[in-house]
Parts: sequence; C-alpha cells; structure tokens
Amino acid sequence: MMQRERQPKFAMISILLTLGAFILFVLATIVDPLSNYSNVLMIAGLALLAASWGIYFIGGRSLQRAEISTENVITVIGCRGCDIREERPFSEGDYVFKEVGPCKKCSGISYIRAIYSIPIKKD
Amino acid sequence: MNIVVVNMVIPVGQGLFPTGNDLSSIILNILWVVFFFSMILLFNQRLQIWTYQRNVEKATIKLQMLADKSREEALKSVQKYAQENTDVRSQVTAFLDFFTIEPVDRDPFGVLNRLEHLLDNRRDRFKAFVAQIAPKAGKAEAANTEDILEAAMALNFIFKVVRHYLILGKKTKSLMIFVQLDMQLPLIMKMAEAYFNAQKTFSAGKPIGDGLGPLVASKLMYGLPKRIIAEDIVCSEVDISNRKAYVLKAEGPGGLLGKPGEAVKRLVEEMSGKVARIFMVDASSKLEGENTGEVVEGVGAAIGDPGPEKYKIEEVATKYKIPLDAIVCKMDLEEALTTMKKEIVEASDIIIEKIKKAIVERTKEGDVVIIAGIGNTIGIGQ
Repeated sequence: MMQRERQPKFAMISILLTLGAFILFVLATIVDPLSNYSNVLMIAGLALLAASWGIYFIGGRSLQRAEISTENVITVIGCRGCDIREERPFSEGDYVFKEVGPCKKCSGISYIRAIYSIPIKKD
Repeated sequence: MNIVVVNMVIPVGQGLFPTGNDLSSIILNILWVVFFFSMILLFNQRLQIWTYQRNVEKATIKLQMLADKSREEALKSVQKYAQENTDVRSQVTAFLDFFTIEPVDRDPFGVLNRLEHLLDNRRDRFKAFVAQIAPKAGKAEAANTEDILEAAMALNFIFKVVRHYLILGKKTKSLMIFVQLDMQLPLIMKMAEAYFNAQKTFSAGKPIGDGLGPLVASKLMYGLPKRIIAEDIVCSEVDISNRKAYVLKAEGPGGLLGKPGEAVKRLVEEMSGKVARIFMVDASSKLEGENTGEVVEGVGAAIGDPGPEKYKIEEVATKYKIPLDAIVCKMDLEEALTTMKKEIVEASDIIIEKIKKAIVERTKEGDVVIIAGIGNTIGIGQ
C-alpha cells in the first residue's frame, strides 16, 4: 500500500535546513564582523532553503516507492475423516470446500479448509 | 561594472538590511520591502495553488496509471474466455463508462421497488455483456469477470472525477477546489488502491474479506444437501442443538452476492412466519483503532446492499415480529475487497460458536431459525 504522508525524518531535515538559512540571514544582518561576507552568507542561505524544499518534495516521493507490500496466500487442506492439516501456496483454481482427492492419512475425502493471506512487506 | 552594480544593490560591509543613509542602502531596503509585500500579498495564493495543484496532478497521474492497468487486467481476464478474432478491447473500453441512473426519490413511494428493478436491469446487462464477450467462461468464471469489470469501472470513474476537478481548478484558478481535492486525496487514493488490489484478487478467484458471511454459512452447511431458494442463493437445513436452522449463502465459488433478502423473505413466507430468529452474518467496516477480525454482535439487518434486499428482510421480520440478530466482523475497505486475512478466517469460527450459543440461549428446542451469510462468495464453495 502506498501512503501520501512524508516520512518524519525528511520533514525534520527540511525544517533544520530552513532554520540554518534563517540563522545565516540573521547573522549576516546583525553581527558586524560578518557583514563583510553578506553576499556569501545570502547565497549560502538561499542554497540551504533550496535544499530544504528539495528534500521536502523528493522525500515524500521516495516513501511512495518504499512501502509497496505483497501477500503470501496459503491454502489449508483438511480431511472429512481425520484431523490432518496441510498448508501449501495458493494455486489458481483453489476455492474453499473444493474436494482435492483422497486423504494421505485415512483415505477419506480431503478438501480445502481455508484460504488466507499473510502480508509480507518489501523494502 | 558588475561589481559596482552588485555593490550598489547589496552594499558590502553593511549586511543584507543596511542601516546607512546612502542611496544604495535605501534602495536595498525599499527592494526588501517591495519583495516582502509582493510575496505576501501578490504571490501568496499563487504559491499555495501551485503546491496543491502539484499534489493533485501527481495523484491524477497515479490514478490514470491504476485505471489503465486495471483496464488491461480486465482485458486479459476477458480474453482468456473470448472467441478468437473478437474485438474485445474496444467493447471492454466502451463498457467501462456504463452507468446506472438512480430512481427519482422526490416521491419516495415505491422507490426501493424501482431501485431493485434498475439493479436487476444492471445485473442483467452485465451478465449479457460477459456472456457476449467471454462465451467460453463457466458460471464461476463469468461471475468473477463481472467483478473484475466492476473494479475496472470503479477505478475509471475515480480517475475521471479527480481529473475533472483538476482541470476545473486549473481553468478557474480556484484555490478552494484544489484545497478540497488535496484534503480528500488520501482517502480517494486508499479507495483506488483497494479496488486495484481487489481486481488482482478477483482475477485469481481468491476469497475476499467480504466473503466472511458466506464462509460461516459454508462451514455450517458443508456436506449437506442444498437447494436454490432465490436468485444465486443456496440453502441447507442444519440441526443445531435440536433446532432447525436454514442456512443460506450466495452460490459459490464464483463472485456472486445473490438476493439474500428475497431468500429470507421466501423462507419466512414458506413457513408462514413461524421462525424464532433470523441471524445475519456480514463483514462490517471498522473504525480506525479497531482490530481486523474483531467480532461484534447487535440487532438489525446486517447487509450492505443499496437498499432493496435489506428492506425485504426488515419488512418480513417486522411483519411476523421475528427478532433480527446481527453478527459482524470488523475490517477496512481494502481488507473487505482483497484476499481474506488469517484473522478473518479465524473470526469465522468465533462467529459459528457465537451463533450456536445464541441459538441455545434465545430459542427453544424444535424452533426454526434462519442463518444468512451475507457477502461476495468468490473463492468459497459450499
């Protein structure tokens, strides 16, 4: 399943970069010894702001790709005559209460007792 | 020359907000003020529109991708059962825009009869279309193909509605349209992904979460004689603690819902209303924070149809004063439409125990009860 929410770590980095840019602008304005480098500080601050925006937007997109999940579908086989229970991967044509031949244990009628999925998350 | 211009605009040695009285400082300060107010007053809404529009555009592209993929999946499923040299693509693509107009409800008298008539028409058209384009499909495969087409239609509709509002927002440059759309996108995307994943499940014929009711009924009726009691509904007589239980469900393993309301009505009428209780089992949408597979009891007709089937059950139960017991299993939309989870399978056994206990506690020996397993029976036989 894909989500639209951005990961908190990307949001935090984005906020920190914006704060860094703000601090640079303030330093360039109020600290006299640094005022000689105001152009450099301004460019550095703008670069931080650009990086902050970039991370905010691109970070959200990377999450959409990360959280794709798949499923593992199991077919459970039981028997009318005994308590045997077998599990195997689902194959097309399986359905619950389908009779699947004689039981290995008691030669009774074995059938599909259940079909269910177990989610597996992929990175 | 360039250095002089830069020094005039940004006076080196005086910071970004110079306090000097020279011309360049004054000009820079004025520029800052102009820049600030233009950002706040003139471009603020533009920037917001741009941000929201960008989100909606991304979602629309994704919805288009899902709609296209689901159409291809539908085509693939149909082609398996189609005659050679049949133009399946154009027929399926055209059918995805099929619509149903709801009956007028300004005069509510008989609205459910009219709705049922329209739903019957719709179902007949679906069946006829599938029979026409996939003549090699058996009953179960045809039912599954109908479900696959339903999912593709739902995705096609969602995509078209979102695209409509995106284009409308661009044309009118309305921030409100984009904001409303953007706020609803998480739920819209969740729904679209649920339908997309459901289609894969339908293609493989796997049981879905909504099949909980039929699964419970199947477990009770397995191995017993069955008869068709209404359209696509099978019924068996089961003895539970010396009470006669009529258990009914849609006929599996194809993706059918049947007409359980009609079946309950016929059964009750057959017995002239001498039914002690009606038990209904269905999947129920869970609230956030609730657990999947949680079993909850209540009263009323537990059925999520558009109205006619629920109405029939309520009407016949009211006519003969038959108590209606509802037992539901909690799950969200995606879980209801995709492969049944283990928790839901386990819940079916809990529900059977609850039904047996309720029958013993609330009815007498020799009484007759009806147990209706409501839901889509895809992947569940009987």
